Amino acid sequence: MPKFTLNDQEIEAKPGQTIIQAAIDHGISIPHYCYHPDLPIDGNCRMCLVEVEKMPKLTPACTTLASEGMIARSNNDRVKEAVRGVLEFLLINHPVDCPVCDQAGECRLQDYYMVYGLHTSEIPLDMKVRKRKVVDLGEMVVLDQERCILCSRCVRFFDHVTGTGEMQFFGRGDHNSIGTFEDRPLTNPYSGNVVDICPVGALTSRDFRFKARVWFLHSTDSICVGCSTGCSTRVDHRDGTIFRMIARRNPEVNKSWMCDEGRLSFHRLQQWERIARPMRKSVDGMQAPITWEEAFISVDSNLKEIASKHGRESVLGFASASATNEALFLFNRYMSEKIGATHFEFRLDGEDRTVTEKEDEILRRLDKNPNTTGAIKLGFANEHLGGIRGAIEAARSGKLKAAVIIYFKPLIARAGDDEKEALIADLVNALEYSVVIAPYKANWQKAASVLLPVAAWTEEEGTYTNYQGRVQFAGQAMLAEGDAMPAWEVFAGLLYASGESRLWLSFDEVFQSMKESVTIFHNITLEQARREGALATE
Amino acid sequence: MKRPAITINVSDIAERETSFAKEMFAPLAGMGLTFTRMMQNVSGKIRPTISYPEERRSYSERYRGAHILTAREDGSPRCVACYMCATACPADCIYIEPGEHPDPHIEKYPTRFEIDMLRCVFCGFCVDACPEEAIIMSRETEICAFSRDETIWGIERLMRRPELAEFGLGYRPNAELVDSRLAFVPKEKLIMSMPNSITLKEKAEMIPHVTFDPRK
Ligand code: SF4
Ligand code: SF4
Ligand code: SF4
Ligand code: SF4
Repeated sequence: MPKFTLNDQEIEAKPGQTIIQAAIDHGISIPHYCYHPDLPIDGNCRMCLVEVEKMPKLTPACTTLASEGMIARSNNDRVKEAVRGVLEFLLINHPVDCPVCDQAGECRLQDYYMVYGLHTSEIPLDMKVRKRKVVDLGEMVVLDQERCILCSRCVRFFDHVTGTGEMQFFGRGDHNSIGTFEDRPLTNPYSGNVVDICPVGALTSRDFRFKARVWFLHSTDSICVGCSTGCSTRVDHRDGTIFRMIARRNPEVNKSWMCDEGRLSFHRLQQWERIARPMRKSVDGMQAPITWEEAFISVDSNLKEIASKHGRESVLGFASASATNEALFLFNRYMSEKIGATHFEFRLDGEDRTVTEKEDEILRRLDKNPNTTGAIKLGFANEHLGGIRGAIEAARSGKLKAAVIIYFKPLIARAGDDEKEALIADLVNALEYSVVIAPYKANWQKAASVLLPVAAWTEEEGTYTNYQGRVQFAGQAMLAEGDAMPAWEVFAGLLYASGESRLWLSFDEVFQSMKESVTIFHNITLEQARREGALATE
Repeated sequence: MKRPAITINVSDIAERETSFAKEMFAPLAGMGLTFTRMMQNVSGKIRPTISYPEERRSYSERYRGAHILTAREDGSPRCVACYMCATACPADCIYIEPGEHPDPHIEKYPTRFEIDMLRCVFCGFCVDACPEEAIIMSRETEICAFSRDETIWGIERLMRRPELAEFGLGYRPNAELVDSRLAFVPKEKLIMSMPNSITLKEKAEMIPHVTFDPRK
């Protein structure tokens, strides 16, 4: 372990780390543009210059290995003067059109100018080299060549992460500019990532363009619920509307990337019509709104009655692999302890097989549910029925009388989604008594005996277990619509109505109970789940 | 060191001298003053009363009244929908919806720009914040309306309300620097005497019927 000194502070670097990496690990920030933790090192922007004793010139911290006994400085006047000089060069031809630039507020040029620059530009406006603005690069990205500082992060992303190499520099000297060959659109399914990594406003998001200024937005750490990879994300929202979702760095799952489909998936969430209130089918076969209290009591007594009349095997708990671990935990507890049910299922189409199967070589997985592993580990895949088709058969033959069904539509559409939803509808139609728990409205729900609205992702706190078995936390960004409540709260209510002495009142309490009673979650803390997640191990 | 006491010059005003004759004369002197004022009013020498609203007092050049959105040469708003004004606004009363401008060098423009005039506290922060001199203030104070909806002013009203000429320009700290234009059409009777587009640098007298200026 090489030990070196940075700004009079003794730092122990990991072998092979450069000065900037060791500094970031120890909370010392060195200004940089081209360095990115998940891209190969390039050393072209010259912003990270530091002074190292016995070296004649300043040296870039991103390319210099930290070695034993090295004495480096990043905060003296010589370094600051050099950084200021670099910044002044970068800004020579920069348009500084921050008022119309979507990056403003999170722009590294603005930030470093306030810390290191504060110089007056010597270049008159009409002498600046003009380049092309508003270049259309397809569905995800809009390019502004003038704002580019030629850091090559985007070039390296397409060369080394996706391996498709769409972007490159053209021209020389002042006229050196970034672009794609003949302005061809970026069709890569990961191209939205270059918007995240571009340190300035050269690459901006087509979807987020002009939607909001970033300083008005509130951020909530979350995960993408588009597939079983569960990329760490940050959701930016205001007044109950999500404006964008961007990747959050998690070296264990997604590095700094996420796929474009996932990036845009929140739009579907906001388009679908929601169920406003709990509903119950009355004698005339029509559903009428009821209160939550009535719903809990009637569901509980009806389920118990069926279980005592037709036996415990006549009741099924049908989970969704998109529900949170907490909801599934209380669901299982209610069904097995209070009703005595033995049938538990969640599989619409062999999710337990596809959960780890890759859709491509980077992030995406075939299973479009975020919590399939959680559903398996919490006991929703017993072999009695063998998936939803078995359940429908059992219901048609009269062996199965009642079921509690959670259904979340997948946020990323794939062929076959409608068929899967039709299977759920078939199950509901075949049952004598069905309780459907769902956030979004659908036609088939009219057949349900009781319909309970629940919060969707971003409206509730929850943990999800991804394909690796990693438990990750997703925060709450907004309130649920209408009377909807988080799914765990529905089961907490049912448990309480059924005579359980304990009433779970917050997400933290449910997580704690789950941790105590399910062995694989014993060692997981909420802090880990909030950061990079923790593996649920036997 | 002991500080010396501060001496303040106070003029000694003696008790008003009075006498029987003065006391008898005082009401007459008062009536004389009243009479002189009456004659001055009747003859039109001074007029402390004005016939509002046909006549108005003239406010200072820095008066912060209802906002004006200034225009480019072609009459479109100068505003680039940067939200600086909305960010600075302490009353949170500016609502902007941006759109994609066909000219890539302008890039962004407001498809909607609304100020809720009843929420506005006329602090002028929006004018200070604007990097484009796209929003300035007028000396217009009358923001009466029959319904709440009418007090929310949109782009058209902020830019081109015809009554602008009657009030004149207000707070515009960068007037000398910027060449932004006003693009309004004055009311009919004024068309002859008023230009329908002036730049802020021009010193246009825009308040034709103010007759009383207390400073003069
Ligand atoms: S890239 Fe940064 S400095 Fe350049 S115009 Fe955009 S916000 Fe301003
Ligand atoms: S477009 Fe952005 S990421 Fe790409 S080289 Fe320019 S500044 Fe760097
Ligand atoms: S004058 Fe003040 S309160 Fe009124 S719109 Fe401008 S910033 Fe807001
Ligand atoms: S600050 Fe000026 S340019 Fe920006 S949105 Fe407001 S009026 Fe428009």
